[in-house]
Amino acid sequence: MALFRDENTPMIDRYRWWEVAGIYAGIFAFLFFLLAPFLEGFLVSLRPLSQLFTSPYRFIPENGSFEAYSGVFERLPNFWRFVFNSFLISTAVTVAVLLLVVPAAYAFARFSFRGMAPVLGAFLAVSMFSGAVLLIPLFRLMRTLGLLNTYWAMIIPGVAFLIPSAIWLLRTYMMRIPVELNEAAYMDGASQFYTFRRVILPIASPGIVVVAIMTFIGAYSQQFVFALTFNSKTEYMPLPIGLFAFFGKQEVVWNQLMAAAFMGIAPAVIIIFFLQRYLVGGLTAGAVK
Amino acid sequence: MGQLSLKNVIKTFGKFEVVKGVNLDVGEGEFVVFVGPSGCGKSTLLRMIAGLEHTTGGDIVIDGKRVNDLPPVRRGIAMVFQSYALYPHMTVFENIAFPLRVEGAPAQVISEKVEAAAKILHLESRLQQKPGMLSGGQRQRVAIGRAIVRAPEIFLFDEPLSNLDAALRADMRIELTKLHKQLGATMIYVTHDQIEAMTMADRIVVLNAGYIAQVGAPLELYHKPQNLFVAGFIGNPRMNFLPAICTGVSDAGVEVEVMGQRLSLPVAPRPGIGGASLTLGIRPEHIAPGTGEAVVRVIPSVVEHLGQQTIGYAAVPGREDSFCFVLPGTRAIEDDKPFDAGFAAADCHLFDADGQAFERRVDMTTLSVPVGG
Ligand SMILES: Nc1ncnc2c1ncn2[C@@H]1O[C@H](COP(=O)(O)OP(=O)(O)OP(=O)(O)O)[C@@H](O)[C@H]1O
Ligand SMILES: [Mg+2]
Repeated sequence: MALFRDENTPMIDRYRWWEVAGIYAGIFAFLFFLLAPFLEGFLVSLRPLSQLFTSPYRFIPENGSFEAYSGVFERLPNFWRFVFNSFLISTAVTVAVLLLVVPAAYAFARFSFRGMAPVLGAFLAVSMFSGAVLLIPLFRLMRTLGLLNTYWAMIIPGVAFLIPSAIWLLRTYMMRIPVELNEAAYMDGASQFYTFRRVILPIASPGIVVVAIMTFIGAYSQQFVFALTFNSKTEYMPLPIGLFAFFGKQEVVWNQLMAAAFMGIAPAVIIIFFLQRYLVGGLTAGAVK
Repeated sequence: MGQLSLKNVIKTFGKFEVVKGVNLDVGEGEFVVFVGPSGCGKSTLLRMIAGLEHTTGGDIVIDGKRVNDLPPVRRGIAMVFQSYALYPHMTVFENIAFPLRVEGAPAQVISEKVEAAAKILHLESRLQQKPGMLSGGQRQRVAIGRAIVRAPEIFLFDEPLSNLDAALRADMRIELTKLHKQLGATMIYVTHDQIEAMTMADRIVVLNAGYIAQVGAPLELYHKPQNLFVAGFIGNPRMNFLPAICTGVSDAGVEVEVMGQRLSLPVAPRPGIGGASLTLGIRPEHIAPGTGEAVVRVIPSVVEHLGQQTIGYAAVPGREDSFCFVLPGTRAIEDDKPFDAGFAAADCHLFDADGQAFERRVDMTTLSVPVGG
């Protein structure tokens, strides 16, 4: 959809001025609804704590500053450690999920075997439970395995809960790769594994990147529950738990909390932007037909 | 090397029998074309020869060795898919080199062989491009290139040209025929296209619903179809069929009455056919206006003027398929006006009630392409 037209714009993409205005108004309303909390969070991080509870409430901060950002490190000397933990956990989860899911999705996409449909159904069913429902059995499991208060306690459940959706996503992607490519490679003498590595993996890479992004975000947002229950060691805490330090007995240090949240998310956003460059379409162009 | 035999080959998918006992010997260096209506099992048969599909029954023998359980590479076979099946993320060079990379050939050998293949197929300037940037014909040539680098003894083609436009198809047809001469390998080629079948084949195999209806040289199928199916399938527009009654048998052949006229057809007679109802076949291109040993008056409902030919279609009372005639050149024939279609007894085909042909007494040597100088 091209809203700005030049003389080459196809007829189907041409709009009247009021249609363009309407589309922009719609986009704006939607984005505002979506982004307003972030905007306000950011504005909160800019103003001194004393100004936060004035009434009438003002949206635009007076004499705003980045003071809260440096304040984060005074109150929370471990801040970067928490960010690192968050990253470590999410990255480990993502890597583990990809290692397990890529071959599994390929198998589900290409081979048909007894019990495939029930297994796929079971994956869906599992992902309908949120981790929170299963916390108690998981806790006992972790305790039995002696994994409480380790990184593993946060990584393993994360992996388990993210696998089903990742398999479904990647399987759909891989099913769209023409089977003739497998057959052609087989005719050329390639083994299943060779075909997988040299033909399927490269073509599936945009799908794998999508799964990696989804998994990373999922792991980032999901780690809170597991970290809260399975870990009590400060040095292993991920950022969402670390942010509890801003909840004092009497008051919550909102501006620093927001500042910390933004600084914590920033690296993840950067990574995702970086990964997005690999989300190129049309990789199967010219394969068949 | 490159001799292939199919011995009573059967393929069933579940309960559904697709290939129902095919026997065929393909000689070394031969170009054999499989034709048949859609769904008759051509691709399935080809895929069994390739080793992509399991053979339910019978034997596939290559160079005297039963290969039913061998994978494609060990059969010495390469296949070109209808849909090209190129690796979209690799350059043309890497696509063609793929079989050699799988074998683990040294880089030097790979680049020599790929360049040789690219030269044969006129792809030298395309080697660094991806398949997505190529035209249909170029993609098809890359697919062929991938087949020829392995120097297989048998090539299989499944409708390789069906995605191309008419002009490109004609070019590729000629290039494939050249390639066959150049490589001298056995080629088995599936197609829907009659022209491809007639022009490229040493022998044509006509398949019908899982059986071989007839095997023979193109002109043999055209002049001596063994049954109604082949008679109707080979030739375009298809042969006209008229109901006929056998009135007698003589040394000269079989006498029939067709549309109220008596004809003596020069075909091998069989005993006890007096009074039997038969089917007479006459090809549209053997019809001349007005004159002939038999003349049938028809009223064409559609007349097509192609310049080179004039084609008319008329309804025949009591038959569903229309009666078609093809006259050379541009003729002043109008639709909905009566037309006298005349033909000679020598051009007629005769089939019994089971659709089996009475052998025509034609001298194939005068009808085939003259050999030698
Ligand atoms: N994997 C399969 N499972 C079940 N039936 C199949 C399978 N593959 C093919 N068939 C059936 O076998 C029959 C022959 O198929 P095939 O593809 O060999 O036909 P074809 O002669 O190549 O036709 P076309 O000219 O349209 O390509 C068809 O009726 C098809 O439905
Ligand atoms: Mg087919």
